[in-house]
Amino acid sequence: MRIESKIRSSAKIVTLICALLANQSTSAEDPIDFKSEVIPVLTRLGCNAGSCHGSAAGRGGFKLSLYGSQPSEDYRALVRDAKGRRINRNDPRKSLLLRKPGGDMDHGGQQRFDIDDPAGEILAKWIRQGANLNVETELKAFDVGDSTVELEKPGVEYAFQFLATFKDGKQRDVTRWTLLTSNDESSLSIKRDINRAKILRPGRHIVLARFMDQVTPVEILVPYYQSGESFVENEQWNRVDRFIFEKLDQLNVSKGAQLDDQAFLRRLSLDLTGRLPSPRQIEAFLADNAANKRSNLIAEWLSGQEFVDYWAYQIATQLRIRSQAADKIGARVYHDWLRDQIAEHKSWKVIASEMLLSVGDSHEFGPANFYRTTGDARLQSEFVTESLMGVKLRCANCHNHPLDHWTQDDYHGLAAIFAQVKQARVISLDPSGENIHARTGKPAVPRIPGEYFIESKDADIRVPLARWMLDDSNPYFAQAMVNRIWKSLMGRGLVEPVDDLRSTNPATHPELLAWLADDFVQHDFDLRHTIDLICNSLAYQRAIGSQDDPEFRRTYYADAMLRPLSAEVLADAICDVTGIWETYGDLPKGTRAIELYDSKIVSPTLDILGRCSRDESCESEPNVAGGLASRLHLLNGRLLNQRILDLDSSLQVMIRNENTTEQIVNFFYERAFSRWPRSEELMFWKSRIESEMGEVDPPERVQRLEDFVWSILNSREFTTNH
Amino acid sequence: MNNRRCDGADRRELIRIGGLSALGLGLANFIGLRRAQADDMGAAKTRKAKSCILIWLDGGPSHLETFDPKPDAAREIRGPLSTIATALPGIRLSECLAETAKRLNDIAIIRSMTSPLGEHNFGTHYMQTGFKPTPSLEYPSFHAVGASVYDRISNLPPNIAIPSFRVGGGRFSGNGFLDRANAPFSVGGDPSKREFQVQDLDLYRGVTLQRLALRNEFVRKLDQFSQLDSGPADSTFEQAFRIVTSSEAKQAFDLSQETPQLRAKYGNRTVGQSCLLARRLVERGVPFVTVNYNGWDTHADLYTRIKEGFSGASKPVGLVPSLDLAFSALIDDLKDRNMLSETLVVVMGEFGRTPKLNAAGGRDHWPRVFSVAMAGGGVVGGQVIGSSDTAGESPKDRPITPGDLVASIYQLLGIDPALELKTADGRPIRISSRESRIISELIG
Repeated sequence: MRIESKIRSSAKIVTLICALLANQSTSAEDPIDFKSEVIPVLTRLGCNAGSCHGSAAGRGGFKLSLYGSQPSEDYRALVRDAKGRRINRNDPRKSLLLRKPGGDMDHGGQQRFDIDDPAGEILAKWIRQGANLNVETELKAFDVGDSTVELEKPGVEYAFQFLATFKDGKQRDVTRWTLLTSNDESSLSIKRDINRAKILRPGRHIVLARFMDQVTPVEILVPYYQSGESFVENEQWNRVDRFIFEKLDQLNVSKGAQLDDQAFLRRLSLDLTGRLPSPRQIEAFLADNAANKRSNLIAEWLSGQEFVDYWAYQIATQLRIRSQAADKIGARVYHDWLRDQIAEHKSWKVIASEMLLSVGDSHEFGPANFYRTTGDARLQSEFVTESLMGVKLRCANCHNHPLDHWTQDDYHGLAAIFAQVKQARVISLDPSGENIHARTGKPAVPRIPGEYFIESKDADIRVPLARWMLDDSNPYFAQAMVNRIWKSLMGRGLVEPVDDLRSTNPATHPELLAWLADDFVQHDFDLRHTIDLICNSLAYQRAIGSQDDPEFRRTYYADAMLRPLSAEVLADAICDVTGIWETYGDLPKGTRAIELYDSKIVSPTLDILGRCSRDESCESEPNVAGGLASRLHLLNGRLLNQRILDLDSSLQVMIRNENTTEQIVNFFYERAFSRWPRSEELMFWKSRIESEMGEVDPPERVQRLEDFVWSILNSREFTTNH
Repeated sequence: MNNRRCDGADRRELIRIGGLSALGLGLANFIGLRRAQADDMGAAKTRKAKSCILIWLDGGPSHLETFDPKPDAAREIRGPLSTIATALPGIRLSECLAETAKRLNDIAIIRSMTSPLGEHNFGTHYMQTGFKPTPSLEYPSFHAVGASVYDRISNLPPNIAIPSFRVGGGRFSGNGFLDRANAPFSVGGDPSKREFQVQDLDLYRGVTLQRLALRNEFVRKLDQFSQLDSGPADSTFEQAFRIVTSSEAKQAFDLSQETPQLRAKYGNRTVGQSCLLARRLVERGVPFVTVNYNGWDTHADLYTRIKEGFSGASKPVGLVPSLDLAFSALIDDLKDRNMLSETLVVVMGEFGRTPKLNAAGGRDHWPRVFSVAMAGGGVVGGQVIGSSDTAGESPKDRPITPGDLVASIYQLLGIDPALELKTADGRPIRISSRESRIISELIG
């Protein structure tokens, strides 16, 4: 099937070129339409890009709307402003609109076209016909043909064909006037003069095609290996694997090996409980002979208390739960409430709904703190869309989102909804609250983003918002959550960043994302159901491949990804392995880092390990871990050194109890790595720790054991989930 | 103020992988790791600079209140400050740059910088890397590139930021696609404070250098056993070992070894003492130091913040007077030590400020035209390159992009602007874009 489609693709190139040539001439009588013909010329030539006249302040005294999103404003700028000099109806070619970009006059943006080019012809003809504005023209559909194109190898060129269908039913080939952008020019470059793609590297490439107000991605797949070089095995455990297999097959990448039991146990334990498995758990699991023991264990841990704690921590991070300046109570109440919801198997939809519609005292009613996450209505609407819908509205504050359908009306209309929520200790509704629209300077009309203005006077204006956002048919809410779950378990989101879902940032596996979201909805937004599904897939249980293999093997889940432990999980693991607890603020001894209800609780340890402050989205916060400063602390600071030397630490206790080197090495391997040393490892440690140069005296042996434990805590096998 | 950005590539994961795990090289390999690639290149012939001090004015400095005042413009453009004459006939600077004005023979000012990016992160990325940010690849700053290609002649990190490298809102790593070890090392303290010191430079009690070496060997062995290591050795770890094992590091950071007179000349503010520390580091073979001077995002109350420092100050201690003391003292000090000709000093921020004052008495972001000042390291001083129009709104002539600037900095540093470096997955990427043109009059 794949081979056929390849042949089809190459045959298509030839036909498309012919089609392209045939479609270029426009009949002389046709009137030139401003919205669908003039503006696309300006877009295609880059005139209304953000770096040129499309910038918020314009350029050289001439301002166009970004990518022509406001045709009436552009019409005014072209025809009426500058005393009408930009247009010369008597001698169109003398218009500034043609002379400047046509190279006839000095132009800060250089010459954009030859005046006799089709671009110049369209502009001249439009002016000659009277420079009219027809506001009726509306794009109904922008057809890019196949949204996924499979090509056989790098080096080939691909000719696009784009078809526009307008509201009045007319259709036009707009290939020439579509603006193409490659997401990586060094992998796929666009030959702009003829709007063709030249493939430079194998892999999955995204080209964004923009015509009028539509932007659509086209995915171009070029296999990494030619047929015969690679065997793609079709083995599937559940539905997830079908989608993973299909992509591997398209890219001709063979899947790697599967995990053994011990490695599976460690990975699952970290993913479901945020802890390393205990020696007892390891022994019990290895002794279990049931064929479905992995599935059983997944089910068992999903119903445990550790799962509740760890996933409460993860979702608290997503919701940025933290204390406000002088108020620690709210965060605690909020976190406790969230943990209870998860313990009680509440659906994600119910949890979100409670937060969205909350009112009351945030010191008593946890979800009310949802409205204390940010400082004002605009920030709140950014936060809500990012954390619950995985959508970044931010760009639409100042202009319509250039890569999505969100408009400034959407942004300010949503903020107008949240402006009616009083953000104080007691969350209450205030129907007089307003948000000033950045473009109009007037109070924005409350609006369901991308949908409609809210006319009716609901008692709680958030009700229609919640209804829309949490509706089964809203694609964002479910997709955003399953994408986050996927990232948590697999190392990266199907869409990255996970809070930037938009059609122009397509998933690596769009069908899988859609299917997972649909399945999540079908199962009543049950977090455990989706986690269970993913953990039971072949894809989840893939082994770590060689780190020298190319990145794409991990991107497409042929091999598992090495995932660094989060600061909190790592801190807990260090405590577990060394046997010395960390204290956090004034919380009782034994409190684990993942149980902290507040990211602001003072902890130099967590800072060094690079915790997220939750002040903003943790998806984009920079991380200090791994920098030289934290490295110096691991070498010379107390975090590790003091724990190893402490007389109550596991190591010092074992030394006092006269345990053998072999016993100590085994102990730390099992706790830190969830496995036992192989014989060559054991031999190495025994020789380095005790018997290298004849006899090492006891004090030297103790030091070497300390150095061994320090090294365990700094090893990649300990600090990552693999 | 606005330090958030529309997108946000996720660097956390990548960075944390390098986090605790140590794949370092043995102590024996610590010295002389890098080949002196720079000296093999054509550009080396013109190389004068051996090191670079970047005084980064974080937040976007007003060109109108610093290097490109408009004394003849209307009041709302001219702003609240007056201007003074300089060592160069016909060239005037802000009244707050009195000491700098006297030294213009050593300084080149570019008044026609231009960029389309008026957001902190984007502007910072563009100015420090020479590339506009793209979602698919984070470029390295010029100092990280320099750190990666220069031969190591010191045990100190090759790229250091004082007090910290939190620039452009903090989303910018500095090293881009290069190894983490090339990112600026944040010293993490304010050198103007009496108790200033770099944390964790001393060995933990009972741990000797021999034991550190042993630990390093053990970690490498563990990573070898687990087969989870990849790519080059974890050089951050190696670097940490190097600092700890050298005696010069602690000395380098000890400002008490400078005379009180010299310390006073630099000014007692953070920027002054940071510049003094920068000179000490450069002197000891650190090729790249960023003095990160923040607070330039003057959307409101420009007068107080730019000039006075706090309202009613008897002596102006605001942003510009403090910069003036630090920058001029640095030039003098480098000159006195015969270091100026081989030390490039660059003063810049991510963009300029709006020509017209806003209602809050401040100026907002303005990338279309702004200024950069440079001295030493082969820069031809005593000249003003390019100019802005009468309102300080657009370049009047000789528009220069951040790409041109960074390519020229490479040229001065003896690094071929056409050099290609490899990303982690092996893609060759040029360090400056093909469109960049060298600012020839800048380079002697």
